[in-house]
Amino acid sequence: MANHSTKKSSKTTVEDAHAGQSLLSKAFTPEFQWTDKDEFLDVIYWIRQILGLMLGLVWGIIPLKGFIGLALFLLVNVAIVYIYYNSFQKVDEEEYGGASEILKEGLMTSFSSFLVAWIILYSALHSETGS
Amino acid sequence: MFADCILIVFISVCTAFLGEGLTWIMVYRTEKYKKLKAEVEKQSKKLEKQKENESNDRVQKKKLERQEEKLKTNSRDLSLVKMKSMFAIGFAFTALLSMFNSIFDGRVVANLPFTPISFIQGISHRNLPGEDYTHCSFIFLYILCTMSIRQVRSIYIVFEMNKKKERKALNKWVTFIFLRVHKFSHVPFVLLFCYMLNLVW
Repeated sequence: MANHSTKKSSKTTVEDAHAGQSLLSKAFTPEFQWTDKDEFLDVIYWIRQILGLMLGLVWGIIPLKGFIGLALFLLVNVAIVYIYYNSFQKVDEEEYGGASEILKEGLMTSFSSFLVAWIILYSALHSETGS
Repeated sequence: MFADCILIVFISVCTAFLGEGLTWIMVYRTEKYKKLKAEVEKQSKKLEKQKENESNDRVQKKKLERQEEKLKTNSRDLSLVKMKSMFAIGFAFTALLSMFNSIFDGRVVANLPFTPISFIQGISHRNLPGEDYTHCSFIFLYILCTMSIRQVRSIYIVFEMNKKKERKALNKWVTFIFLRVHKFSHVPFVLLFCYMLNLVW
């Protein structure tokens, strides 16, 4: 019981130390100690959204076409998230229910924002009947 | 074509805001919702506290189980309150969507950089003349926009919920309950989508 309470109090001090930090600064701190699992998943989620939009814009400007564009997006997206949590944050994936849980977080939304950005830019810049 | 795309994005943003506003009027600001939400938060905190000083006492365990059951019923009630109004909103939006659909009828709003697979073609080439499957109809772009906007909006709601709770109480259990409630709130949207697709088919 005593052991339990010391553990708890040390956890609280870590939490207090990070309480003032914004989510953004936490996200860019390498190997940050995530006391709140949800926060980490939120970071992953927002990284995904921004990434989806950016890649959509880039794919639209280049322009990439066809199945290769879709496949490349999924590959880049998953790879960046994997590198982020595995090499940058060094998070124990088992705590979040395995790698697939982290890799799945927000993938669908990111995919739809990617498609919107890609389609709009592509049809505006590169289609014959465009603009 | 570009103007059409921007217009569609604008339409979906507007409808998302409108939907959110209506939900706020019909659900979030009502006394029943506030009371239920407070209750769920209180109970989950209490439960969390009790779980921390877990004991093997049988009576204690039974008490815990009973409380868990109560929490579950409450969160179910909470999602039910949401669901009713969401159905009402859903019907309103279906009417709105069929209006937009008739405005954009037969118009190519964008060119897809890829050829969609056959079962998506039904949506992406809806009401369009010709066999060029890279032509994109209004409904496809609208659905994509709504998907990204709605998810962002609902994650925002979860964010808000998390912030209001005490940090210490934010453990697996609480999150589980909230995610469950949150997940339930998607059911009417899924139903609505199926319904909309059926209608415009």
